[in-house]
Amino acid sequence: MKAVASDSSELKSSKLKPGVNRGLSIFDFILRLAAIVGALGSAIAMGTTTQTLPFATQFIQFRAEYNDLPMFTFFVVACAIVSGYLVLSLPLSIFHILRSRARATRVVLVFLDAGMMALLTSGASAAAAIVYLAHKGNGKTNWLAICQQFNSFCERTSGSLIGSFVAIVLLMIMIFLSGAALSRRH
Amino acid sequence: MKTGESTSIDIAPETNNSGPIGKKKSTTPLLAAPVPVTDRGTHRMKRGLSIFDFVLRIGVLASALAAAATMGTSDQTLPFFTQFFQFEASYDDLPTFQFFVVAMAVVAGYVVLSIPFSIVCIIRPHAAGPRVLLLILDSVALTLNTAAAGAAAAVVSLAHSGNSSTNWLAVCNQFGDFCQQASGAVVGSFAAVLLFLLLILFSALSLKNSH
Repeated sequence: MKAVASDSSELKSSKLKPGVNRGLSIFDFILRLAAIVGALGSAIAMGTTTQTLPFATQFIQFRAEYNDLPMFTFFVVACAIVSGYLVLSLPLSIFHILRSRARATRVVLVFLDAGMMALLTSGASAAAAIVYLAHKGNGKTNWLAICQQFNSFCERTSGSLIGSFVAIVLLMIMIFLSGAALSRRH
Repeated sequence: MKTGESTSIDIAPETNNSGPIGKKKSTTPLLAAPVPVTDRGTHRMKRGLSIFDFVLRIGVLASALAAAATMGTSDQTLPFFTQFFQFEASYDDLPTFQFFVVAMAVVAGYVVLSIPFSIVCIIRPHAAGPRVLLLILDSVALTLNTAAAGAAAAVVSLAHSGNSSTNWLAVCNQFGDFCQQASGAVVGSFAAVLLFLLLILFSALSLKNSH
């Protein structure tokens, strides 16, 4: 009697666990798609931002583009690399949906997700620091706030940061999901 | 029937608590019962990973604290007059550096608080709960650390080379020591970022090998 009871409880537990893992993997796939949209949108929005002032000012330069500032160039490159990685990791995510018991590939995914999240965060925070300086300037170092002149350039660069922040949060949630899926006992 | 039922009730608690032949599969407690002989190899590897994780955590603490302290004590006063009105520079002249100091201090505080969890993972290598918690909190701390490092790196590189398109002058030509200390602090925080990545990898590897 006891042997029968333990068998049925083990059968129930082994039926439940792959279902939860599969749900986690499907959610991970959906988040990956959303993160691709966020990162790619940021790269394109920052990369296509130019503004030319119609009049001559005290500045010699009256045209602003993303590659005038090396941090914005780094931001565009980092966003492009991360969105390329996310596209390439979609097959791995689909593999995790099909084979919910896979463990070694989940470890690879966790590590690569963490590395890409670090890259994207450093690019986004560098661009955010420069956007902050462009908005406020700095009195002690005599750095003038260029947003007074280049209004639409500033607005577009600030807006493009939002997509990358969303992608960072989604990448972090994907790491949590992979960690939770790894920790479940089979 | 009655004797059968009473036998099953008697046996069930015994097998849960029995010593060397007891099976752990029926209950999944956080701190596990004694380990069967076949799991010794994984046991040793996980204990090795946990010890290495602890050592890395001490390293992260050292570099995060060093970065925060280096940036926090970086002030320089020039002994002569220049074309700038201001001839002293300190970390709180730039809000980005203030954010850097605060964020690195928070990360160092988190690492101190996570050391007990790491010790629990050394003592009980097969526990999955502390490891998942460390994985999650480590990735949050990684994000904060990288954000502080990236923002400070952007401002430091701007201070070193200036920017002609926006007419921002390179401050480091005047304030050499201040710039050097700030650059050193940024390097230290990027070292902490790399160590965090390794910590996340080790947590994931240990979780993979749990049965």
